[in-house]
Amino acid sequence: MVVERDLRMFLQYKFLIILRTIWFVAQIGFFGLIASRMVVPDLADIYFEYYIAGVIIMMLYSASVFIGYDIFEEAEHGVFEYLLSLPVSRRELVFGRSIGGGIRSFIFVGPLIAISLFIIGLANPLNFLIAFSALFLFAFGVSGMSITIAVGLKSSDRFDILMGALNAVIVRLSTTMYPQAFVQDANQAYAALTNFNPVTFASDLFRWGVGIEKYLTMSPMPLAAIIGLVIFFSAFTFVGVTFYERRLEGGGWK
Amino acid sequence: MPIIRTIGLTKRYEDLVAVDQLNLSIEEGEIFGLLGPNGAGKTTTVLMLSTVVKPTEGTAFVGEQDIKKNPDDVRKLIGICFQEPKILWVSTPWDVLNWHAKVCGLSTAERKKRVKQVLEDVNMWDSRQKNVHGLSGGMRKRVEISKVLIQRPRIAFIDEPTAQIDVVGKHKIWNMIRELRDEGSTIILATNELHEADMLSDRVAIMHKGKLLVCDTPKTLKDGILGGDMVEIRLEKEVTQKSLEELKNFREVVDVIAVNPNNLRVYLNKVEEVVPQIMKLFLKKHLPISSINMSEPSLDDVFVHYTGLTIEEAEHKSPSRWKH
Repeated sequence: MVVERDLRMFLQYKFLIILRTIWFVAQIGFFGLIASRMVVPDLADIYFEYYIAGVIIMMLYSASVFIGYDIFEEAEHGVFEYLLSLPVSRRELVFGRSIGGGIRSFIFVGPLIAISLFIIGLANPLNFLIAFSALFLFAFGVSGMSITIAVGLKSSDRFDILMGALNAVIVRLSTTMYPQAFVQDANQAYAALTNFNPVTFASDLFRWGVGIEKYLTMSPMPLAAIIGLVIFFSAFTFVGVTFYERRLEGGGWK
Repeated sequence: MPIIRTIGLTKRYEDLVAVDQLNLSIEEGEIFGLLGPNGAGKTTTVLMLSTVVKPTEGTAFVGEQDIKKNPDDVRKLIGICFQEPKILWVSTPWDVLNWHAKVCGLSTAERKKRVKQVLEDVNMWDSRQKNVHGLSGGMRKRVEISKVLIQRPRIAFIDEPTAQIDVVGKHKIWNMIRELRDEGSTIILATNELHEADMLSDRVAIMHKGKLLVCDTPKTLKDGILGGDMVEIRLEKEVTQKSLEELKNFREVVDVIAVNPNNLRVYLNKVEEVVPQIMKLFLKKHLPISSINMSEPSLDDVFVHYTGLTIEEAEHKSPSRWKH
């Protein structure tokens, strides 16, 4: 029921959904196509596919983060108090919201994934199904992280700034846009951070799922990435519950 | 055994003490009025009892469950009608109430039946498919109170139930609150409308600046004000000094003001017992009475008696509203 509510809320943002779709089309139709010409001609097509997969994960990340903004809107309207008064445990509430945030991201990203599959193709449906399922954990984890940060900060301005900065760091220090080998060449420390980034796990899994694992961080068997996403999801669901209880019931929203 | 018992319940927001050492007992099946101006601590008390906000000190037992130790169990017993309607997502009254009923565990058949019934009762059936953001403040408030009426919780917290609602609607909602009580719910009514508290409450607690000033039945509180009743007597002849003195000698009479020789204003206690004796006195003195008007004190007078301020004055002096 908590999930249902969050899904309904997301469908209000029609304008946002249209804008993000235009952004996706522009990123792959202009930027991806042109930027891929900058790499070695033989690899241009491969990089283009690589880039499309990266953009999908970026879209999934940003759509999953959006639930944090809903939290501020709810705080502003006092809807938090209503949600906290319902006969639902805090654990169920946060878990439901993480799941709701994740599912709605998939509803948004789903058609874009279909477009990317049309362009990239699908080598192994079973691999894709495994990767697709693991990406749900990624989306739930990012929603949990967004909820945790939102209720931890209790300030929409600070949240906005922090999420902007976090987005810049977490996406750039991952393999969404460039293969691990090139990060390694650029800087060892960057490469080390990239290896422990959930966005890297998600990007690599998606590429493995669609069969373009040539430039992956990990070995072809994506167990490490799946374990990484399970840890990421579990940690933020647990932290989210704790923060929800401690921070929200204390009051003091700005 | 009271259904709600607070023990030194306190909530502080930095320097502001929103609720200060509140000790209350609320019996099962009563309508309990929590009365006071805005900023008195009523809403914070409701939020603590409903486990939305954690107390800084003290605790409370709601249906024998400790709000600090067993908040999940407490929430299964309660329902809240908030002061401000809590309807965020763009939806319709039907969707909002249907979702609420679903979360509260009502079966599909029961849910549909109750949502329809309550929407009809609050005159919102025709507007059930309108966008909630297009509804007037009064209509949204009716949707808010419908949540509790559909849920029928064991303990219902109702905060300012008739704010922004017209007179006819007010009476209808008052009757629905009484019906909810008659069906077995205990009702905690937080309001700054003294007349509303007087009309509905079996007992009232008056709060001011986070503290509990007094708690009893409205009648006991009103009767407790010395000289709170007032009788205005018009005589056909001028009153004599001797009669005036005899009138002042009644034990229940606190003060007598002669507005003019034919018109007396008498401040007294237990008006219903004393007035027959006053009439008897004037008849004996051959001073025929042309008219007699009696007025009882209201809860406004009780509030003035305990705080020295009218509720409007108290609201102006209250600290600015805090955010939760």
